[in-house]
Amino acid sequence: MDYSILLGQAVLNGLVIGAMYMLMAVGFTLVFGIMRVVNFAHGEFYMLGAFAGFFTYVYWEIPFVVCLLIAALTIGVLGMLVERTLIQPFRSDEMSGMIATLAISVIIQNGAVLLWGPQPRAMPDIVTGTLAIGPFSFPWSRLVVIAAAALIFTAFWLFMQRTRLGRAMRAVAQDTETALIQGIRVNYIYPLAFGMSVALAALAGALMGPVFSVSPFVGLTPMLKAFVVVILGGLGSVPGAVVGGLLLGMIESFTATIFGSLVSDILQLLLVILILLVRPAGLLGQREA
Amino acid sequence: MEGSSTATLGRDEPRLAPRRRWLSGAALAVALVAALVLPQLTTNQFYIHLANLMLLNSIFAVSLGLIASVGQISLGHAAFVAAGAYVSALAALSFKLPPILGIVLAGLVTGLAAVLLGKILLRLRGVYFVLVTFLAGQVFTLIVLNWESVTHGANGLLGIPAISIFGLPLSTRLRFYYFALAAFIFVVTFVWALMRSQYGRAFRSIAENVRLAESSGIDVSHYQIVAFALGSGIAGAAGAAMVHYIRFLSPDSFTFNDSIAYITMLVVGGRHTMIGGVLGALFLTPLPELLRGFVGAQHIIYGVILLCVLLFIPNGLVSIGRSFFNKGSETGTSK
Amino acid sequence: MRGFLKVALLSTACAVSSYSASAQTLKLGVLATLSGAGTAWGLAMQGAAELAAEDVNSKGGLEVGGKKYKVEIVAYDDHYKAADALTAFNRMVFDDSIKFVVGPLGSAPALALLPVSTENKVITMTMAFTPKALSADYKYSFRPVIPSDVFSDPQIKWVVQKLGAKKIGGLFPNDESGQQVGAANEAAYEAVGAKFVAKEFFERERVDFVPLLTRVLAKGIDAFELNGNAPQTAGLLVKQLRELGFKGPIIRTGGDATADILKVAGKDATENVYVHQPINTDSPAIQEYTKRFETKYKTPLNAFSPFFYANVQMVFAAMQKSGTVTDSDKVREAMLGLKDFETVLGKVNWIGEAQWKSNQQLDAPFYVALLKGGAAQVVAKCTPKVCE
Repeated sequence: MDYSILLGQAVLNGLVIGAMYMLMAVGFTLVFGIMRVVNFAHGEFYMLGAFAGFFTYVYWEIPFVVCLLIAALTIGVLGMLVERTLIQPFRSDEMSGMIATLAISVIIQNGAVLLWGPQPRAMPDIVTGTLAIGPFSFPWSRLVVIAAAALIFTAFWLFMQRTRLGRAMRAVAQDTETALIQGIRVNYIYPLAFGMSVALAALAGALMGPVFSVSPFVGLTPMLKAFVVVILGGLGSVPGAVVGGLLLGMIESFTATIFGSLVSDILQLLLVILILLVRPAGLLGQREA
Repeated sequence: MEGSSTATLGRDEPRLAPRRRWLSGAALAVALVAALVLPQLTTNQFYIHLANLMLLNSIFAVSLGLIASVGQISLGHAAFVAAGAYVSALAALSFKLPPILGIVLAGLVTGLAAVLLGKILLRLRGVYFVLVTFLAGQVFTLIVLNWESVTHGANGLLGIPAISIFGLPLSTRLRFYYFALAAFIFVVTFVWALMRSQYGRAFRSIAENVRLAESSGIDVSHYQIVAFALGSGIAGAAGAAMVHYIRFLSPDSFTFNDSIAYITMLVVGGRHTMIGGVLGALFLTPLPELLRGFVGAQHIIYGVILLCVLLFIPNGLVSIGRSFFNKGSETGTSK
Repeated sequence: MRGFLKVALLSTACAVSSYSASAQTLKLGVLATLSGAGTAWGLAMQGAAELAAEDVNSKGGLEVGGKKYKVEIVAYDDHYKAADALTAFNRMVFDDSIKFVVGPLGSAPALALLPVSTENKVITMTMAFTPKALSADYKYSFRPVIPSDVFSDPQIKWVVQKLGAKKIGGLFPNDESGQQVGAANEAAYEAVGAKFVAKEFFERERVDFVPLLTRVLAKGIDAFELNGNAPQTAGLLVKQLRELGFKGPIIRTGGDATADILKVAGKDATENVYVHQPINTDSPAIQEYTKRFETKYKTPLNAFSPFFYANVQMVFAAMQKSGTVTDSDKVREAMLGLKDFETVLGKVNWIGEAQWKSNQQLDAPFYVALLKGGAAQVVAKCTPKVCE
């Protein structure tokens, strides 16, 4: 293997991981932008999505696209319920809300262990085989993830930009007071935003299930990475989450390939700390009032 | 223990009626006697072990509460605990430093580190500070894991000596208990006195409103750093004490999950009072053990309790006691 | 509330049952990882203890010194953390008064526990591979599983000679097992003329190995060593290696992970994978044990299980021989005296005096198997000296 192959492989790896990080981060930052909630349970919804995808695909044997839809819908509705009952009481208290999401994450993760056991489940690939372009070998299963993530994000973007509901959400994110005055029903926007956010996480989980396997513990790392990406891109900025997600995916892929994973992990964290100190708003975030 | 509410971290209490002061003093005395005598009555070593953990956790929670008193929540507290533990353990193993001195050294080193870090990190507030402390904690864990030549990496450090006081090694659980109790009383008294002083007043003003505090002449940066350094230094010293009790240390000993546990203890006990940290630690430490029979359900119950406290008793367990005492009184200070 | 009711019902049931039975109870502890990445191994240990207990309980109990004892298994999860293992162990020893423990599972928990178990004369049957687990200082520490220190040399020698591999690559978790097993492996390969040209460490929770594998493959390796990676990780490594286009042989010189490797990587990816197999899957005794385990626990058997099953049976035999269930010194002496003890693994003995000054390592034959078409075929039988 020579350097060009190494680089090419690293680029593909970076894109795949970046796509997943992007989906996680967009949802996470959406909730923060609109509701000022740091959702520590975000990773657990990713995990639930992975399980939803697993069960529907393996036991019902339906086309994977349908599985994705089911995962997104069920987890999204669950998210809305969670918001209404458990997060709403903390609207005025950021810190307590954060700790509440911590508690929720513990409950969901351990509930999953109780229900489904701690053993990881292997999920069959949705598409097998590899795409060989010259000396490069790209597994189709990973290419599919990139394509799906791109599609999902496009749908999300269109929703936010073109629909009334989407514009209402953005209004609330920019200035809740004014949005209220304008007659936007904030009490409906919040659960909807939360539901969408965790639906995105669930889709990420379902997409990555065949690639990484499914267990109650798969949500931890994506959660960490979502944090990192969102800080990188700016808390509350969706474009920041996209750019940040892909950027982090690339950085991780390249540094791990060149330096090994330990150096890569430390470098990523140091980079983020640096950003927080120098430019807390992140690359594309808004300055805090 | 409920009565010493003059040492609040976030609220100014009205002066207590003399009768209540007498009651709280008596309650304290009873608690002290019980703490001294009870362990002699039980032969079950496991309960004593549990008591030791409860005392140490109380110190961790109270030191976190000290940082919280300026309105900052640190999600990296366990890193300071671990740092103190490693300093003392390595000093004992490589330089044969007596553990009792090692604990002091650990406290000084972590306190100093907190001063240096604080100068940079405390510029951020609120959610950003939480996130940066979280990340800093992760970096620390990674460094400890990979700096094998010094820390032995994942293999950890074995055979760490026990604390020795005037030649008597604290190698039994019971002996360590009295040491831990003394440390606990010392820390709690220190923090209580601190909060009653000018420092405490400054801390509370900063927690209420940073800009206002600044404009009334308080050097916000200075006081924040003091709180952060003291809180982290105490945590480091306590971590050192713990490591000379468990006598084994690895990067897994104090992780992000422990930082979460300390925050949980503080919140469940009562975020705005110093007693809260103690109450939370005393309540939550034995809980996993009580629930151990229900493997799996144990963690869920932990999470449910936390959630319920947040939803229904937002000011923590302390507020239950307080509202009990305040029956009839109109000075309800809970939100 | 439901929890409380459960406790009330359970305790009444226990009280009633202990009154109705005239037998006494002998508690056997299980301290292992029952959640997370090492669960396959933890369940193997717990299952072994429970099956051995079932064997004697179905006959009315273990008869020792004229009394019959009903064996009760008390299992605690250590979450693969030394501190949790220590607390659980404290509880086992002081609260439950247990003197015989199946566990601990990992090297870190083992090292944390051994001073306490030795001081309190608690016999432990550990899975920890670290050479420090057996020593003259830890009189009560036994190891029923064959550690890499014992099996890697003959196995690696055989595999390297057969495959003619010269450049080896491997990925190891950055924890105590990984760091130490990695070093042992590297030495073993060099001793037979192969070289570890790519050795990478990663965080234990990692699931995406593609960047690291890319790095390893860039060095042009002939074979890949899976080593002591957790079963699921091993499966992911095989899968991702094949996805990257690596067609060479993959070697697993580490604990049994075959079931998980097959499940995660799938049949096609696992062609040309050589695994260390602690048990002979063709033996009728093993097949019967496997069936029994899999029917009861509805999960594939992990090959470590029969070793603990055998060890617990030896403890029971030692108790009967020495006439006591509480004096661990006497039980220990009796157990060490057992020679050519018949178990599902065949005849077993104790070895280890020369290597660790502690003759408390179980000696049983082990095997090298090749994965073909989704099944493991034994291709060599080994002793600590040689494989053929």
